[in-house]
Amino acid sequence: MTVFSLVLLTYFMVVSGIVYDVIVEPPGIGSTQDPYTGSVKPVVFLPGRVNGQYIIEGLSSGFMFVVGGIGIILMDLALDKNRAKSVKVSYATAGISSVVIAYVMSSLKSQCGLSNGVIVEFYDLGYSHLILWC
Amino acid sequence: MVTAAIMYWGLRFLRFAVHIREVCVLTAPFFASNTTLVAYFFGKEIWDTGAGLVAAVLIAICPGYISRSVAGSYDNEGVAIFALLLTFYLFVKAVNTGSLAWGLGSALGYFYMVSAWGGYVFIINLIPLYVLVLLITGRYSMRLYVAYNSMYVLGMLLAMQIRFVGFQHVQSGEHMAAMGVFFLMQGFYFLGWVKHLLGDKKKFEALLRIIVTCAVGVGAIALGVGTASGYISPWTGRFYSLLDPTYAKDHIPIIASVSEHQPTAWSSFMFDFHILLFLFPAGLYFCFKRLSDATIFIVMYGLTSMYFAGVMVRLILVATPAVCLISAIAVSATIKNLTTLLRTKSKVSQTGSTKGASGGKGSSKALPDQSQPFQRNGAIALLFGAFYLLSRYAIHCTWVTSEAYSSPSIVLAARGAHGNRVIFDDYREAYYWLRQNTPADAKVMSWWDYGYQITAMGNRTVIVDNNTWNNTHIATVGRAMSSYEDEAYEIMRSLDVNYVLVVFGGVTGYSSDDINKFLWMVRIGGGVFPVIKEPDYLVNGEYRVDKGAAPKMLNCLMYKLSYYRFGELVTEYGKPPGYDRARGVEIGNKDIKLEHLEEAFTTSNWIVRIYKVKPPNNRCYYAILKGLKGKALKKKLHSISVTYCLKQGNKYYGECHEKSIRFLKPANKEASLDRETDSERWAPPPQVFCKS
Repeated sequence: MTVFSLVLLTYFMVVSGIVYDVIVEPPGIGSTQDPYTGSVKPVVFLPGRVNGQYIIEGLSSGFMFVVGGIGIILMDLALDKNRAKSVKVSYATAGISSVVIAYVMSSLKSQCGLSNGVIVEFYDLGYSHLILWC
Repeated sequence: MVTAAIMYWGLRFLRFAVHIREVCVLTAPFFASNTTLVAYFFGKEIWDTGAGLVAAVLIAICPGYISRSVAGSYDNEGVAIFALLLTFYLFVKAVNTGSLAWGLGSALGYFYMVSAWGGYVFIINLIPLYVLVLLITGRYSMRLYVAYNSMYVLGMLLAMQIRFVGFQHVQSGEHMAAMGVFFLMQGFYFLGWVKHLLGDKKKFEALLRIIVTCAVGVGAIALGVGTASGYISPWTGRFYSLLDPTYAKDHIPIIASVSEHQPTAWSSFMFDFHILLFLFPAGLYFCFKRLSDATIFIVMYGLTSMYFAGVMVRLILVATPAVCLISAIAVSATIKNLTTLLRTKSKVSQTGSTKGASGGKGSSKALPDQSQPFQRNGAIALLFGAFYLLSRYAIHCTWVTSEAYSSPSIVLAARGAHGNRVIFDDYREAYYWLRQNTPADAKVMSWWDYGYQITAMGNRTVIVDNNTWNNTHIATVGRAMSSYEDEAYEIMRSLDVNYVLVVFGGVTGYSSDDINKFLWMVRIGGGVFPVIKEPDYLVNGEYRVDKGAAPKMLNCLMYKLSYYRFGELVTEYGKPPGYDRARGVEIGNKDIKLEHLEEAFTTSNWIVRIYKVKPPNNRCYYAILKGLKGKALKKKLHSISVTYCLKQGNKYYGECHEKSIRFLKPANKEASLDRETDSERWAPPPQVFCKS
């Protein structure tokens, strides 16, 4: 049990892009300036590149992935053992809702990058280099 | 290469008239389909046939794998991932069955992997780590002993047949883990035998303590002596930078500069894996639930490969088979649960109706009876949900493959503002210009990314190319690109460069051009020549090309060659002339004069620009030296540079006229052998047009 939770924690850190954060040191959250009013607004998703992120963006996405995984685990726990019925039902609902929420959040986030707006694609020598706008 | 050659000869032997080009193009997809087959058998080995099927389906369309195995990508990894998965499958099979045949099979798979890719170091470190984990968790068995020994010894001997690897298996630090575990296994076997002989527990424990301390001591001493004496070489930079990701950035800029070697952000994970990222932790849970030798292996493979995938984008490829297998376990187990729930519904209802509530089991059976319809509907709904998720995955994979991984890398495509497709064929335009308008032995200096393309399509010699073996040479080119024009000219003369090629994206907005790569040129050049310092090119740590840029940046060779005549060009409506669309700023230095180079060719979208290196001075040394004799001649010779023109001229420097101090223009004499007329010479257009 402890091993598994350690494993999940490591997975969460890797998928959030912690190595990217350590090496590239992006800001926690981006900011743009509204051209007309001059106020500074926060920008959550790094625009314009596929392989780039802000720290908070990475952590929240990694958390979504882990939540989705735990949801499936909860669903399995709900089905298998002979527990009290209420516990099973709560596990089941928690599991299903986690998966749904996680999937919807992730697809929303990736929509901002992957399928909206004008997509200009260039294939760099080696790694595909998609330039995307939100 | 050998694989492609064998397939070509095999097909030719069967009298199929294939061209070697078709064989090379289709090698990667062919081996990808073989990987799918191996994934099925692997899944069957780890879990059951259902998981194997799902694994095969997942890995068949996973973008992480497709990115390196499209038709036309003729690179090591297309074959190497097949060899990797095959070796792992055979090894797990050997551990499960304990048969020597499977162990030898895995050794042969390992040999194939070593001959295919340098990533075999991953195998030779993962398998000992796996064996160590099995030993620690108390799963030592005769099967493991047979499997590992046969695989290690035979695999090592076979790997030494590859000349490139040579004796690294006994000399290099990266392979020492395997050797250590090998000796440890012998120790375990020996202890088991001694235990069997002794029969007395206390004596055995005392003996165990003595032996363990002796063994650890001897091992440590051997390792220390080997490392200190230099026989065992330390970890090479390539692999050390995987363990310590910050190492490459500080010490080996040429490794750190490749865009594929950057650390991975979450969006790249999502792009390449999609829902597999959710299924991975769930699959890990299922593996932990049913622990066996095989599931421990796949968990370790998955975790280690995911860590390395987080360090370097390129290694997502190595993680893909593990992620697909583990996700397949999750999918298969979940769907099995749901379908058993659906099926037992009817059975329970029948038994419930015939037997009624019987004894203590009544409560647990009565409950499902009461909530039957709810659970049945729930199970059906969940099955539809799983179906929906998997179909979204398939749609995502096909979309990614068609958009991102299906373009030729030499022709660029973009979508305009109205959705129409715009094609930029500038690279080929420039290479064919080189092929047709330059002398056959001209030497081209460019950044190493374009080396192979210039050699293959332009048919000209390059100074540095993609085989980045000679770091000092590349650093010399980097130094030339980042110096002022005069110093750069000296370096280019010493390298005997005739043409310089730069890639420029300011007109089209192409962002993989040389100005964006320029800082890497500075870092690599500065790594060998300390005279190039990166802070000279930055302003407050920021890399700029506009008016506020560093003076050294505004006058270095790369800047001049990229932005020559660009200051007169209007690139975007409403912006001033000289607006760089890739950087999004107006350039700082618009009035660029080139002294030692002249523009030879610029492609139609200004993506590739070729410059000709002018001959040394436009003074004719023949005229200078004529009439001097003896000491005066020697003195004069010392004070001018080595090259002097011949009376009849050569194709670069043209003739000299005795009375004049200028060379005659060499332009018309430069036509190469495959050009029919040289009446036309490309000249910059008198008027520049803006593209709307």
